Amino acid sequence: MALNDSLREMFAMIELEMRRLKHDRTEIYTRAVQPILWLAVYGTVMSHVRDIPTNGIPYIDYITPGVLLQSTIFVSVFYGLTIVWERETGILKRLLVAPASRYATVIGRAIASGVRAVVQALIIFPVAILLGVKFISNPFYIIAAFMMLFMISGGFAALSILVASLMKTRERFMGIGQAMIMPLFFASNALYPIELMPPFLQSIAFVNPLTYAVDAVRGLMISGEVASIGEDFLAVIIFDIVIFVIASISFRRIIE
Amino acid sequence: MELAIEIKQLTKVYDGKVNALDGVDLAVKAAGIFALLGPNGSGKTTLMRVLTTQFRPTSGTARAFGYDVVADDANVRKIIGYVPQEMSVWTDITGFENLLIYAKIYGVPSSIRKKNIEDALQSMGIEDVAGKTVKKYSGGMIRRLEIACALLVKPRIIFLDEPTLGLDPSARKAVWENLISFKSEYGTTVFFNTHYMDEADLYSDEVAIINKGKIVKSGTASELKRSLHSEIISMSLAKGKACPLFSSFDADAGAALERRQFRIMEKVKALHWVEDAFLHDGQLELAVEDGEVALPGIMDALRDEDIFVERIKIKKPTLDDVFLKYAGMRPNERDDHRQKAA
Repeated sequence: MALNDSLREMFAMIELEMRRLKHDRTEIYTRAVQPILWLAVYGTVMSHVRDIPTNGIPYIDYITPGVLLQSTIFVSVFYGLTIVWERETGILKRLLVAPASRYATVIGRAIASGVRAVVQALIIFPVAILLGVKFISNPFYIIAAFMMLFMISGGFAALSILVASLMKTRERFMGIGQAMIMPLFFASNALYPIELMPPFLQSIAFVNPLTYAVDAVRGLMISGEVASIGEDFLAVIIFDIVIFVIASISFRRIIE
Repeated sequence: MELAIEIKQLTKVYDGKVNALDGVDLAVKAAGIFALLGPNGSGKTTLMRVLTTQFRPTSGTARAFGYDVVADDANVRKIIGYVPQEMSVWTDITGFENLLIYAKIYGVPSSIRKKNIEDALQSMGIEDVAGKTVKKYSGGMIRRLEIACALLVKPRIIFLDEPTLGLDPSARKAVWENLISFKSEYGTTVFFNTHYMDEADLYSDEVAIINKGKIVKSGTASELKRSLHSEIISMSLAKGKACPLFSSFDADAGAALERRQFRIMEKVKALHWVEDAFLHDGQLELAVEDGEVALPGIMDALRDEDIFVERIKIKKPTLDDVFLKYAGMRPNERDDHRQKAA
């Protein structure tokens, strides 16, 4: 019964997100501009530098998974802003007075953000094809890659909700969000292989969940090397579970 | 009489120092409209948030239809509706969609979902704007949508925190008229916090005043007003030569007139219903508990003395006066008052 209530709330949260997207798609389009620039400008220029060892993959293809993930994670990392806004208004108070568990609220919102992130990636995906990026043609690989996008985005959205429940104001949240996103991106294998990094940065990349997500998406979409896929998914699942639990526990504090 | 809410010795201490609630005792009857009045910072919002299971109390108990708000919080959440003071609907989707999402969160079965939503929209009188995004709504429409969201599940109690704050008089009236017709149809208990005394006076069955985290007075609005014992009857007396209170036709003017005035005033003050009386500028002012009961006796007494009255005005105390008396004083003033009384 309690599980039923929770599932119901999660689906309601996903539906809410979809309905908001339906009413206002501007955000999805404007957020697609930056990643497209990364691919079209940065990727094109940097592909002339032949020093980055990409195992023979064209550089623009090499960074496509990273750029896709960056754009989706951007959506997730700032998802907490919605929560901060809902806290400032009375929406959160009201949700917490509804007969559903707080876990359901957190997980439902995180999943909803994951869905939004996948929609975001779906906008960029065809643009990448137009730019000449060659994707693996196996549809199962592509679906698995999107699954990974969804899972990692959900995890980062939960992290964002956790930050929101600690920071509570828009300004402080923005500060933390900005401070998180760039190191996440640069201390990962999104733009270059980990082997090129100094040892200190390598150890950060090693615990950065984004590294595993990029590895999996690159394997599934571009290189076809899927030997480490199992490890990648396991790492991201562990990250998701840990962050869902912490965010749910912390969420109670948000309205106090 | 069934009780909707029963609160015993409830306290809430913030950060180990601020006593937001300091021993609240309160009983609210089922199916009535209950108004909680209090100045800013008196604890009324805190009390509502404890009752709606958002905060745990520090000590004491609170029950909603028998369910403890701490131990049975899940059951409490199933029977209550709540509209916080701040805006609580999503503005980037339509009114209908807001209701739909709430219906799904509350698990309204899909077979009756549509009907419930239509009922809620209709009972709040916003069915015409249901298809518009909430951004385009006026303040009054948003408030009615919020209440509709809370009424959707036909709660046994609905909690409203400052339901008409910032609304214009016609929007306030619309909110209340819709709410009352819903209440009479479904027997919902309404519990609301407010600053507007006129609203409490007009719409509530019972009122309690909270100050410094304690309930300082409760009862019906008319009981509270009567408890001030302070209706004022002002009489303009006929100033003819015959009037014994004013006439100065005989030689004994000064002293005898004063004596006569004194005697009559003493007689008036001695009347059963009169608590105090003053005479100035041809006006006789009487403090009474209930003017309508006291007036005939007073008139008889005056007529016995050949005093005639030209015009009578009864000033009844308003709930504002009640509020000022019980909640308007600062604590040190109240202490002074107590010392004087002692």
